[in-house]
Amino acid sequence: MLGVASDPGDGASVSGAGALVPFLPEARGPVVYPLHHGLKPPIARVAISWARGNSLRVSFFRRASGDGSDGDEVGGKVLEVRLNNGDGDISDAQLRRVAYGSVSPFAVLQSRRNSVASLSKISSPYHVEWWEYVMDYSKDINSLLGNPKSLPSPAIEDPQAVLQKVEEPTCLKAAWELMEVFYADKLSQAWLPERLVDWLTDYDSLLSSTQATIHLKVVDFQKELVTLQVIEDNTKYWEVISSALAVGWLDVVVKMLRLHGSYLLDQIGNRETENGLVEAVAVLISKMPRMRPALESGKLGECYKAKPDFIKAWEKWRAQITKLESSAFWVHCDHHRTREGLRNMLQIMLGNINSLCTATCHWIELYISHFLYIRPFTVGLESMYSLAKKCMQLKPMTSSHTLIGLVIGILGDNTEVVLAECSRSFGPWMVAHALELLTAGSDEAETLLQEERYNLGGISIEELHRLVYAQVLSLDALTWQLAPIYLTSCMKQGMGLLEILLSKQPVQHTQILLKIIEICRIYELDSISSNIMKIAGVYHWKHGRKGSGVFWLQQARDEVRLNRIALQLFDSVGQSISDESFKQWEGLIELLGSDSKTAGGLEFLRKYRDFKKSLKQVNDGKTTDVAQQAVESLISLMKNPSTPQRFWLPLLYDSLKLLSWQERPLLNVSQTNLLLNKVQELSMARLRPDFIEAELPPQALGGVRLALATNLGRAILEEK
Amino acid sequence: MEKSLVTLERGTVCSAWNYCGQRLATGSDDGTLTIFDSRDPASSCSFTCTSKSRVHETSIVKVVWVPPEYGDAVACVCMDGTVSLWEEVVEDAQPLQWKLCKSFKSNSAKVLDIQFGISSTSLKMVAAYSEGHVKVYELLDSLELKNWQLQAEFQNVIESVSTFSKALCLSASISWNPQRGESQESSFVLGFNSDTPQLNSSKVWEFDQAHQRWLPVAELALPEDKSDQVYAVAWATNIGRPYEVIAVATRKGIAIWHLGLDPDADGRLSVEKVAMLSSHEGEVWQMEWDMSGMTLATTGNDGVVRLWQSNLNGIWHEQASFEPSS
Repeated sequence: MLGVASDPGDGASVSGAGALVPFLPEARGPVVYPLHHGLKPPIARVAISWARGNSLRVSFFRRASGDGSDGDEVGGKVLEVRLNNGDGDISDAQLRRVAYGSVSPFAVLQSRRNSVASLSKISSPYHVEWWEYVMDYSKDINSLLGNPKSLPSPAIEDPQAVLQKVEEPTCLKAAWELMEVFYADKLSQAWLPERLVDWLTDYDSLLSSTQATIHLKVVDFQKELVTLQVIEDNTKYWEVISSALAVGWLDVVVKMLRLHGSYLLDQIGNRETENGLVEAVAVLISKMPRMRPALESGKLGECYKAKPDFIKAWEKWRAQITKLESSAFWVHCDHHRTREGLRNMLQIMLGNINSLCTATCHWIELYISHFLYIRPFTVGLESMYSLAKKCMQLKPMTSSHTLIGLVIGILGDNTEVVLAECSRSFGPWMVAHALELLTAGSDEAETLLQEERYNLGGISIEELHRLVYAQVLSLDALTWQLAPIYLTSCMKQGMGLLEILLSKQPVQHTQILLKIIEICRIYELDSISSNIMKIAGVYHWKHGRKGSGVFWLQQARDEVRLNRIALQLFDSVGQSISDESFKQWEGLIELLGSDSKTAGGLEFLRKYRDFKKSLKQVNDGKTTDVAQQAVESLISLMKNPSTPQRFWLPLLYDSLKLLSWQERPLLNVSQTNLLLNKVQELSMARLRPDFIEAELPPQALGGVRLALATNLGRAILEEK
Repeated sequence: MEKSLVTLERGTVCSAWNYCGQRLATGSDDGTLTIFDSRDPASSCSFTCTSKSRVHETSIVKVVWVPPEYGDAVACVCMDGTVSLWEEVVEDAQPLQWKLCKSFKSNSAKVLDIQFGISSTSLKMVAAYSEGHVKVYELLDSLELKNWQLQAEFQNVIESVSTFSKALCLSASISWNPQRGESQESSFVLGFNSDTPQLNSSKVWEFDQAHQRWLPVAELALPEDKSDQVYAVAWATNIGRPYEVIAVATRKGIAIWHLGLDPDADGRLSVEKVAMLSSHEGEVWQMEWDMSGMTLATTGNDGVVRLWQSNLNGIWHEQASFEPSS
């Protein structure tokens, strides 16, 4: 499936090559992976075969030493290599859940696209409300990726727990939210910087895997907290506070400030000024104006929806900070660390670049602090990108992280890079679904992704990625049934791939067969469906289940094979009518049902069966009425053009009793003439070299002819 | 990333998976045909040996599955150049067994490669022989694999005037056009590794329904490369491209060809070589396209498995490789 199906022992992962997406714009060398077959060398030969989806099966054959002296009985190994990749921090089962969950939002969005396109005369379906649909979709997908805020808060709050406990976030979700912010959520464009502040609050912890982060600092300090006696004497306390302030974790900051020793009851008397200053800073922080419609409960700041109101409040707030900064109370603050710490915080709030640089750990944190304290009005991708570049120079990252490439791609407005990063880091699921966000982002991106390309065989990038994802889905017996949803959203090649996918399912398993037939019915793939039923029919026929075999061949309307089977049945039943095998094939004919008009040969068999039944009753000593019925069956059989000629004589021979019925002639003149003509035809046919002689006594024909002649005489007399 | 599916016995030299990847047939140097099955459709990880029988005196060198429309059957190409068809059937009251349906014997020439193709009406088998001949057999009875008719015999040359009687071929490679449309004529590509330059280059053969004969409709070699010995050919699945893609491996590397869909006035198809990939440092053993026809997997003398793809700009490159280690 989507995840890296890796052996936990060797830790090898296929990320990178796995996506098998031929689109990385920059030329990169092939990724080399080891394949452990565990065989003793030398290997004589390697064979390959693609299995369903994009898993590759590799056979290794050892070169056998002539004398067999090495004593190794193992001559080779067959390995399956799964060429899919995905986000390493998500399990297979979880990704499967995501795959199942994302089908419905995806299908709904596609059907909305179709209806919007058919309603509007404008060529582009993306009129005003389109992004709202995309936003619905994005929210549905996002909720599948986990909810970091879902953990219930404990009943009794630990006063020293500065960080809220949350579910472990995933890079996949972080990436999705980032794209949602930039591409889909047009409502929040006005307060994009604040959205980024929130994003970093949720996901700074992810970056800790590769470098120092403020989150890591806070977590470490949290551990130390219980052992600290006089917290304000600790330099780390002030460091952590200013770092958290720099990236806008105001609730954390205020909570930590209130741990300050001057709040203790026994100290408040002699540290009144100090405590006043701490509280003043805490109040200022909690009153910070925020350019956003609302804040989650527990988060601090004052929200302003309209820009003019915000600017006014911002300037007022800054004036208050400046006032506090230059206040005379600082002189009376005896505690050196507190004084310095608080003043540093004021510098951060005033947007002092040096203080911000010191307080932050990497460029994204510095970037966020710019939005908070230096340039809260930054708008437009271009200025955001230049700001990002500046921050990267000031505070480069110590090592790369999967999310960073994506961030840079988005800020740089480079759709191809975004796509490449999505594919490289998060795999085909992400790309196939994120494309909806990207195409909603801008007209340029839409054109780029939906333009048909000759080099891709006439499909667009969007279609390519859906095809790739469908292939990944079809890899797994548990998910292949989802693939049709994605394939049918592909205009050009989806149906072609769907046909191949369906043709590669093991049809000997009835449940799978029924599922395939159902899919074929939905998507009107009649020829595939009949071919698959044909395969099933042949399979059952050849494996001794003749009834199922005939049933499926009938479903497939495979005239050629059914006629062939009919011939085979004739061979087994035609030798003599009194054959004991009657019961065996009678059941088979019963199975065919009465509505099977598909094969003339089988039609004959059914009539033949009816005839045999009444003949049997006649032999059991039943009345003239029954005998009359048997004659009707005989005539209808002999009239039917599908009755093979070689059956004529055995049929007539078996009916001798009817032809010379004691009480009265059962055949009228015209019926007798018909049969006599057939006998005549038979005599002529006997002269031809290809005539098949029935296994009957040599005088059979003569006997029949005599009986018919006698009957004719009696019938003529009767009719007179 | 990788997991082991089957452990093979000593002397196993070739293997083939059936259409849905649930059955594996292997052949060994003592002529034993072994079948492994996965009984559970939901997982393809447990394979057990369900049949093992000595089908030939000499080594089996290649196993090919017959298309499933014609039953569960394999063709075994043997070291002595014969081909035998074995089928899994239940007959009368007997239990399930693999039965010999047909044996193709040839007096002097050995069969080098065979491949099955389905035309609108019947099953066809192309066989390439060591003296440079190509034979196309047609199955007469859709329910039994016993009766085959030789439909055509020709040499792998564009101009049919000259025949090469003393050709010596080491190997051959055949690949059918995977398309199974009712309307489409059946076609395949074939190349030889021989001492006769004219036979070597890969040619695309198409059945001319009107005249009931096979015609060469394209040659996949530049004029200067026509005598290059061909190691392997592979025709890619086409799920909607306006052109066909065929890979041809020679000692110079792996060439990717585009083949036009519409014939010109002479009935020829346009060809364009779009890439020349240097690979495996020697003979290419096998090439296989994935189900979308976008990724080519190859293996060869260096024992490495390589994956090739085209990027957005139509540039082919090696996407990944897998180096075996014990």
